Amino acid sequence: MKAKSRPSALEKRKNLSSWLLSLPALLWLLCFFLIPYLIVIIYSFLTPDIYDVKFEFSLAAYRQVFSGGYLRPFFLSFKLAIYTTLCCLLLGFPVAYYIARAREKLKNTLLIFIIIPFWTNLIIRIFSWRIFLSYSGVLNGILMNMGVISQPLEILRTDLAVILVMVYVYLPYMILPLYSVLEKLDFTLLNAAMDLGANEVKAFFSITLPLAVEGIFAGTLLVFIPALGAYLIPQLVGNQRSLYVGQVITYKIKNIPRNWPMASALSLTLLLLVALMLLIMYGLYRRHLARRQTQ
Amino acid sequence: MRVFSRKWYKGLNLTAFSLVMAFLYIPILILIIFSFNNSRIIAGWQGFTFKYYVLLFQNTAIKEAFRNTMLIALLSTLISTTLGILTALALENKHFSGRKGLLALIYTPLVIPDILMGVSLALLFNFTRVNTGMITVLIAHVTFCISYTVIVVQSRLEGFDYSLVEAAQDLGARPSYIFWKIKFPLMMPGIIAAALLAFTLSIDDFIITFFTSGRGFDTLPIYVEGTIRRGTVTTINSLSTLMIAFTLFLVVITKRIRKILVSAL
Repeated sequence: MKAKSRPSALEKRKNLSSWLLSLPALLWLLCFFLIPYLIVIIYSFLTPDIYDVKFEFSLAAYRQVFSGGYLRPFFLSFKLAIYTTLCCLLLGFPVAYYIARAREKLKNTLLIFIIIPFWTNLIIRIFSWRIFLSYSGVLNGILMNMGVISQPLEILRTDLAVILVMVYVYLPYMILPLYSVLEKLDFTLLNAAMDLGANEVKAFFSITLPLAVEGIFAGTLLVFIPALGAYLIPQLVGNQRSLYVGQVITYKIKNIPRNWPMASALSLTLLLLVALMLLIMYGLYRRHLARRQTQ
Repeated sequence: MRVFSRKWYKGLNLTAFSLVMAFLYIPILILIIFSFNNSRIIAGWQGFTFKYYVLLFQNTAIKEAFRNTMLIALLSTLISTTLGILTALALENKHFSGRKGLLALIYTPLVIPDILMGVSLALLFNFTRVNTGMITVLIAHVTFCISYTVIVVQSRLEGFDYSLVEAAQDLGARPSYIFWKIKFPLMMPGIIAAALLAFTLSIDDFIITFFTSGRGFDTLPIYVEGTIRRGTVTTINSLSTLMIAFTLFLVVITKRIRKILVSAL
């Protein structure tokens, strides 16, 4: 217990100046981050109009959400987020490991190579995949020249293309946090384990992986959550047969007839799903920390 | 280093690394090569040309989108970095009574998918009957940049060596003098990192801009998406190549800036 003492005049003044310093950002986030969500909540209970909303109370949007009419987009987005995260993890881990074990001088250069695509405009990176994968595109051309296929494959506008490009875009978000934990890993532990008779595989699962858990959590957070709300990638390389939540929400707002209450209800459901995932991950993380302390 | 330097283990990681590098760079390289391809559609190599670069510079819509993008990026960087500096200074006070709430407010936008910020701002501007355009896009960009700028500047303050400030105090320096002559210069690398991050985030954003810009105010990502959707992509290759060149330029420049700063301190 901290002893309760009256704050000194100096502390009071410091506190006041902290309030004043943070006031602009506080007001900004209040007006443009918190209040907009209140409006989303309000709109989800209104009646849709062709271009706008009517201010009449209605539960229609929620009725549709809970009757399961929008289960498929949620299911697809969830599946996409899981596949993307897993692929990023499987591809990203060896890469992060390789960079972490590279010579000091090389490390920064290798990292820059990972970061450059991440700094390149998202839409351009997606567009470059369209050139690569399209019906008359580069990949089909190469495969046909090599005689692997006789007809061009429909690779673009498939669910596989969506996963591929998602992994491409989110991979750096997985590699960087993994690198930052692996970089701190004490590799002499591995040698010790192997001197005691463990093989590479065993040493990996009993030492490297448990010590990298924090990076895995951070990377998963950075990949899984945005993947749940993906719009642009499914829109540009996917097809209209499998619509993801992000697309459905966007169509409800952008396409006419508009249905803003529906978009709001779907957004809030997505928000709830995100909050649930964060809680689960937080719980798992706490358990991991507790287990680590008892060891 | 005995067993773990075994060849196959190293080879495995090197292979994975090379494959990922190929995965990351091949599409971009193809895009750059095809920007010089003398063909209206993306089908095979039809010969070298600068034609599309010329067309690009004659395209007024692209020029306007470029101007809009730069304007929004500069203004949102300026505003969000300023707010970030002020807030980071407030958070420096560990006994600040609003600290926890403020931190929660700053970290929450980072763990919510972008699209939800876009939707909520679109509804705000509809509800308040504000005409969407430059101002609404600017507001949106500042909103998603603030969290990043606060965190980056704050992390710089975290490792701050207060003995310098104390020494200056002992020597009788005024608080304003201490701030501008000691603290601010030491914060500078963090401020530059924050500004660069905000700038790139702003240029890169599609989805939030998509929800907050009205007709007639296109940024480059919005323009590019529109042309892809309409299928008139001839100039997009060359535009993309220039934007990639710009990115590389930024990477080199930041390295330079960092070096200059490090040597100056």
